[in-house]
Amino acid sequence: MDVSLVHQLCQNLISSAIQRCRMSDHLCRLSVFLKLSPPSDPPLVRISVSDTGVGSCLEEFQCLKYAMDPESAEKWDGVISLTTTGINDSDIYYYHLNLKEIVSTRRLTKLPSSSKNGTTFSGTEVSFSVFGSVDGLLVKLTYFLNKVLILRIPNVAIEMLVEESDDISGSRCKTLVPANDCFPLTSAASNVERLKSGLEDYVFKHGNNLNDICHSCFSSGVHLKVGSGAACTKRRRSTGQVMEAIIIISELSKPTTSSCFRACDVKTEVLYFKDFSPSSISQSSLNGLTSIDWKSYGLILRSIADHDGYALLEWENLPPYAHIDIVMKPEGMQKSHLDRTLIRKAVKLALNDLKEKNTGALLSTNALKICSYAPDLARTIGGLILSSNDLDFQGECLSLLGLQCQEIKGETTEDCIKRKIISAIEMNDRKPQRNREAAPFLFEDDYFQEPDVLDEEYEEDEQAFSSFDL
Amino acid sequence: MEGKRSNTKPSDLLKKIQEITRSIIEDICRGRSPSLYIDRFRNYCTDATGNCFCSLDLSIGKEVLALQRECHARRLDVLLRVLLIVQQLLQENRHGSKRDIYYMHPSVFQEQSVVDRAINDICILLHCSRHNLNVVSAGKGLVMGWLRFLEAGRKFDCINNLNTAHPVPVHVEEVKDIVSVAHYILVIEKESVFQRLANDQFCNRNRCIIITGRGYPDVPTRRFLRLLIEKLSLPAYCLVDCDPYGFDILTTYRFGSMQMAYDAQFLRVPEIRWLGVFPSDSEKYDLPQQCLLPLTAEDKSKIEAMLPRCYLQREVPHWRLELELLLQRGVKFEIEALSVHSLSFLSAEYIPSKIKGGVHI
Repeated sequence: MDVSLVHQLCQNLISSAIQRCRMSDHLCRLSVFLKLSPPSDPPLVRISVSDTGVGSCLEEFQCLKYAMDPESAEKWDGVISLTTTGINDSDIYYYHLNLKEIVSTRRLTKLPSSSKNGTTFSGTEVSFSVFGSVDGLLVKLTYFLNKVLILRIPNVAIEMLVEESDDISGSRCKTLVPANDCFPLTSAASNVERLKSGLEDYVFKHGNNLNDICHSCFSSGVHLKVGSGAACTKRRRSTGQVMEAIIIISELSKPTTSSCFRACDVKTEVLYFKDFSPSSISQSSLNGLTSIDWKSYGLILRSIADHDGYALLEWENLPPYAHIDIVMKPEGMQKSHLDRTLIRKAVKLALNDLKEKNTGALLSTNALKICSYAPDLARTIGGLILSSNDLDFQGECLSLLGLQCQEIKGETTEDCIKRKIISAIEMNDRKPQRNREAAPFLFEDDYFQEPDVLDEEYEEDEQAFSSFDL
Repeated sequence: MEGKRSNTKPSDLLKKIQEITRSIIEDICRGRSPSLYIDRFRNYCTDATGNCFCSLDLSIGKEVLALQRECHARRLDVLLRVLLIVQQLLQENRHGSKRDIYYMHPSVFQEQSVVDRAINDICILLHCSRHNLNVVSAGKGLVMGWLRFLEAGRKFDCINNLNTAHPVPVHVEEVKDIVSVAHYILVIEKESVFQRLANDQFCNRNRCIIITGRGYPDVPTRRFLRLLIEKLSLPAYCLVDCDPYGFDILTTYRFGSMQMAYDAQFLRVPEIRWLGVFPSDSEKYDLPQQCLLPLTAEDKSKIEAMLPRCYLQREVPHWRLELELLLQRGVKFEIEALSVHSLSFLSAEYIPSKIKGGVHI
């Protein structure tokens, strides 16, 4: 079976189900259900996506378009069954949608509806049957839904089930994605906070592949380094666009089981969401990512690869068993020409936030180099104090350093000075480059000019954007 | 007239070093990068209008050494290492050479010039001259002639052996009791010419003192020359090759070097006159073509780089004209080229006639 076509269709059906759930004021359930018929050749699968969101106005199905090649035509007749009812409807409506039909007005066939007998509920079920094996599809759909879970969409529970039946043991139902806890929509948790805790869970559960935190990796209080940022367009705030970005760095001790190895991949999949569904990332957004001066965060980006429409960032210098997760979510009107700047801005804010909150994390390549001078500097400064034959001066310096005179031992003083130097370098590195301490005096005269000019990173279109750390 | 810096006693300098150490510790205790503010000096610029202030020996700005750029971290590392050595020298009242200092951390310093730069920076920070730090250079200058003096109680009697080269004293501040019956001081660029004059027993027939810095003059040679001129009030004449290096050495005696611009007021010799050899001497003394070498591309670019120096236009425009002439003629020659007519031409004719006739600029 052409997995990608069916997979694409499933993704679209799930995405529109998410939209219907979000429009509802009630707790909603979204189920993806695959029913494998008794063994036959070729195997037959019934796939259904059902939700208890607001009823469908059918519009979202009208515009589905798939280029059906002859091969997939053998496996799927192109017909989708639709069942939907709104909360105020007294009937349940049934339709057939034939995607093979070229004339769009002829696609939809209305079937006889049935009465709800006075009960009040709403929901939609979309289903279709295909021939062929579904192993590949199951993996992809699980992956897709695990990503959706990061969003922690309020009031929506999502699950995926597979039912297999054979002649011997009857039917067995297997849960591939268990229904998640429903996250109530509270005003306290902002979007970014929800996204942050969603991504933390995703990391703890090794890409949401586990039902619970991987205790072997995250038991001993392993601390995730988390940073978040949101950038927005300043102009026309009402229609403004916001880009939220969360970055998590996890460093594990040696992974124990194979499922944990994903966690220390040197590649980072950029999780990009559009309208609450995992989405491929635009070229201009990718350019925004490439244009970030990763070196100022001590990272070297080796390449950006396209993996099934998802961007994979490959790092050159990650420590062993470390992994970086990045999620990005735009909100508001989409203006793709702003993506580049917004993404760049949001990711940088998230990186700065992470750096701010985690001492020593994401030190720039430059700061790391400078830190390597700290031991020598400390030894010399310690020497200047301890070799002085002015004991009052010695005492004064040691008390400035917070050391007792009894402790006068070269190593203690040196260590203390070294720690202070390194923390000063780290603190300075955390400041945005514009605000760093007095820039070195530069001379007009060639004689004094240093060959290495500080490579400042200038913001483009600075005026158009405001930023806020969250 | 000798300019003296105040507060350059070892105890004063040690106090200043302590202040630097304390400020560094205060910086890091406040979570700031340690920063040193170093005044920058220059002894010339290339401002053609002449509206510059280079002659005032003022700082032209400050350079900040802080832990923000790797090159600055490295310079700070070197500077503090040298400062520690200086503190030890001053505390123990010992002297060390620049080369000694280099060999204390050769793998860190990597080359002598790195140490020299750090020493200069320290002099600027402490407002003193290099010898105040108890740092001396090996001393490569030579002196001979009608001169007698004491250095740290040791007697230098050049008059006894008029035509023998004596090393220039390294501790110029300890030179005392200078006695001389010379009429002038002759500054020679190169040792070979110095030895030619010694060989010709020039001082027997001329009442003078002859000094050579053997190429670019070091600090002791220039300080010693300055001391002699101040104490003896004698005119000084300089004889250099007719090429860009000779001219540059001449300006180093007269105006000081850019590297030590902060100390130029104590090192330069404004009284020095240029005796030769001038580009025009090749015609005047009828030098054959084979003695004249064409200027190389490097020579030409060195001359072109020297011509805009502001002090030439302001203070010695006639030197500048000769330099322009050198570039125009496109040929250079050495002092020794004058020996083409006879070996003793330089000592018997050229120098005496120039001094007698006042042919110097």
